[in-house]
Amino acid sequence: MLISCNSISIFSYLQTLIKYVALSSFVLLMSCEEAKYELNNPSDPANMDLDPPALFFHPPEINAAINDTISVELYGLELNPAAAAQLSIRYEYEALEVDYVEAGPFFTGDNFPIEIVDEPSEGTLDIFIYYLPDVNSNQNEGGTWSIATVHFITKQIRGSALEWVQDSTRLRDENNFPVNIKDFGDGWVNVE
Amino acid sequence: MMSVIRGIITIYLVTSCFAQEATKNVSFKTGNNLAVLRFEGWAISDPLTEFLTEELRETIRDLDIFQVQDRGITNEVNIYYPRSKDYWACWSQECAVDLGKRLNVNYVIAGNIQKKKDDEFLINGRLFSVDMETLLNEFAMNSSGITDSLLLEMKKMAYNVSGLPVPDTLSVGTDTSQVTTTEDIKRKQDWFKLPPLPTKIKALMMSTALPGSGQIWVQKKYPGYGFMGTEATLGMAALIAYYQYNKAWGGFEKNYNAYQDGSDPHNLIELRPKIIEYASDTRKYNAFMKNIRSVASSIWIVNMVHAYLVAPSDDFFDGEYFFDLEYRPDVNQLQFNINF
Repeated sequence: MLISCNSISIFSYLQTLIKYVALSSFVLLMSCEEAKYELNNPSDPANMDLDPPALFFHPPEINAAINDTISVELYGLELNPAAAAQLSIRYEYEALEVDYVEAGPFFTGDNFPIEIVDEPSEGTLDIFIYYLPDVNSNQNEGGTWSIATVHFITKQIRGSALEWVQDSTRLRDENNFPVNIKDFGDGWVNVE
Repeated sequence: MMSVIRGIITIYLVTSCFAQEATKNVSFKTGNNLAVLRFEGWAISDPLTEFLTEELRETIRDLDIFQVQDRGITNEVNIYYPRSKDYWACWSQECAVDLGKRLNVNYVIAGNIQKKKDDEFLINGRLFSVDMETLLNEFAMNSSGITDSLLLEMKKMAYNVSGLPVPDTLSVGTDTSQVTTTEDIKRKQDWFKLPPLPTKIKALMMSTALPGSGQIWVQKKYPGYGFMGTEATLGMAALIAYYQYNKAWGGFEKNYNAYQDGSDPHNLIELRPKIIEYASDTRKYNAFMKNIRSVASSIWIVNMVHAYLVAPSDDFFDGEYFFDLEYRPDVNQLQFNINF
């Protein structure tokens, strides 16, 4: 490419030159940012020190005022496929009152699950949830999902632990075989 | 005795064969192809020199004595070849004959136009026979004043070269308009005239701005296109890598923001591997770009050095240039000379 000395070619040459210099400078001078991150969200199950498959309360700690309605999700972490569950939890009945319970997406397929709630004694709540089979499956696919949500009303100014009754908390698959649960994560409600 | 006679006959036959070959080699061509090398301009602009050279070509062509080679073909021969000097400084018989052979012509004209005073020019020309490897004729013409124009002198030279008498029609008045045109061209080109720079420096500057351009300018086209292509390829690879990086960075930002603001464990546990993957991708593409940058920078520098090395060195102190790098074999040192 020879430089010819007439005005038109000089300007077209300069235009090309400027474009190329810009591209070359881009190559030579450009420095991109490195991706830095911290995966420290407290709601991330990986930060909860649980050994999956596990059950835990989400959120694990709640601060509320008296007469507030609070919601606690009963969550499953990396659970295997299941067809039914009995979730038994213990709470401070003087501080909290169960308002209502609703099923979460874990057992929701094409149909909504069947849900039965029982309070066998003060401070104990049993939730029975059944996957309603459809043409595709008799059980869910497992995974990390909310199984149920319990809505409490705070009654007194005091704290209340939320605990799993491990003996009576269980999951079953479509063949009625137990679904393994290795770990349980407790919760805490602080009424102020 | 018989073997001696046979030997003599054999030697005689072999000698005859070689003698025939030798006769073939010294046969002359009878063509009339002529190449007019671009005249060297001393203290006159390059475009004007080119214009006058072309005028000489045209006039000789019109006289129908020689088949004048087209300017484009003549200039196809590397103008800096075979020596580091410009070919228009090719004033010697060896150089002219060598170039004539390369151009495949029978005759070569080389010359120069020197500006002596404001309106005084000296035109020198030499006609070489490539076949006979000799200088056939030398011309020198003095042009002074606007009326005795350079253009007319070039035309007269064309008649001289062709061995024809200069006609009376080449009178002063007939070419006044063309002389005006010449002056206009000169004036216009002065507008673009840059301060003289040594060829090496100019090639270096060009290759610094645009890799390979300096080499191409000095007619080292293959290395020039090589450097240009390599840098363009690396630039393209860097652009692709940057596009991929940008995509990965966009994915990373979106997912990381969602992770930081999120509270649903199900979503968070799904975001986590995506964030790790996108971050890994950004690092991978960034590292790739850094590598390309290093390679491209190295090649760029090599290209600059190469452009400087392959460009012909001017004899700056003979002309108007102000500095020079010169190797002194007597002291085995590279010397930097400045001429104020």
